[in-house]
Amino acid sequence: MNDLILPLYKNGFLSPEANFFFAIVLGFAFGFVLERTGFTRSQYIADTFYFKNLAVPKIMGVTIITTTTWFILFAWMGWIDLSALFTPATYVWPYVVGGLLFGFGMVMAGYCPGTAVAGLGTGKSDALLFLLGLFGGMFLYFLLYPMIAGFSSSGNLGVLKLQDLFGGNEYTSYILTVALETGIILFLMLLQKLTNKGEK
Amino acid sequence: MEKKYWNPYFGGVVLGTMLFLSFVIASQGFGASGTFSRATAQFLVDSDKSWLNNAYIAHYFRHGDNALLNWTVIETIGIFLGGFASALLAGRFMIRPDKAKGYSTLKRLFWALIGGMIIAFATRLTRGCTSGQGLDGMATFSVGAWIFMFSTFAAALIFSPLFRKQWVDENEGGDE
Repeated sequence: MNDLILPLYKNGFLSPEANFFFAIVLGFAFGFVLERTGFTRSQYIADTFYFKNLAVPKIMGVTIITTTTWFILFAWMGWIDLSALFTPATYVWPYVVGGLLFGFGMVMAGYCPGTAVAGLGTGKSDALLFLLGLFGGMFLYFLLYPMIAGFSSSGNLGVLKLQDLFGGNEYTSYILTVALETGIILFLMLLQKLTNKGEK
Repeated sequence: MEKKYWNPYFGGVVLGTMLFLSFVIASQGFGASGTFSRATAQFLVDSDKSWLNNAYIAHYFRHGDNALLNWTVIETIGIFLGGFASALLAGRFMIRPDKAKGYSTLKRLFWALIGGMIIAFATRLTRGCTSGQGLDGMATFSVGAWIFMFSTFAAALIFSPLFRKQWVDENEGGDE
């Protein structure tokens, strides 16, 4: 039934060894671009939350619009099986609480795990401390896991896509995603104008 | 004078195309937090086998005795190398912390450490970080990724006044 070629690995066109080779290549490209766009600087990332510089949400928004545009084009041409792409399941309450913790940690540390790894490559000492902290946080989670396992798997909706919630198909989810990302960028730009009116 | 960073819209198009390539080739997107979770688990199990009784740690060892033989772990090594190569080529490689001018380095390193611990804990609840959950999830139209991104952004904004001194150069003299 499934005669689609893409994605390569899931459809058996790539050996695990070859896939590991691409892991290094793609990771390298990812780290390279994170540095080129300023994501390896914690201050640059934190600037977002003071409306000093909106590069981070702009890049994230355009990244999602670009990726999903490629997906939809390739799906429309019949070249890719979008359902074979790994999608994390939705756990409502853990994501709300985890997201709040993550945001608190992010404005405190100025990094997320990916940007800190690339940041360490650029020589940032605060990125090194952040990464050491990650090990500590993981250890803490393992220790507490017997107590929080119940909460951690609460609100499990499985793999839930926008089209499952709002109806329609992948095309409607695409339009919704592009509209949301564009709206967020424009809304933040408006907020930036309002909050920085006296400064520059 | 450092080289300028890429225009954000251009950067987004490049990053988005790479994320697409990652999905097209490997069937999954970028990630990072899982690497640190696996490395911590591997370290604990290597030092004492009884850690395998921990259900969370055990789930990494269902398919073998090496939790680090994993796509995201290998990709994370690439992220480090890519950041290093780009910084070298741009003349931006420098050993220093990033912070507002005049803010104590010791305090900065302390908050980076504590923030790292909080974020690591958070990523176990959210099954990934801004890459593995945020970018990958939003790109595959996952509802959970949007829940995660909205609560992350909300908390960062709510708590931002507490860390203002660390990030904002109050006496900036018109540069940028």
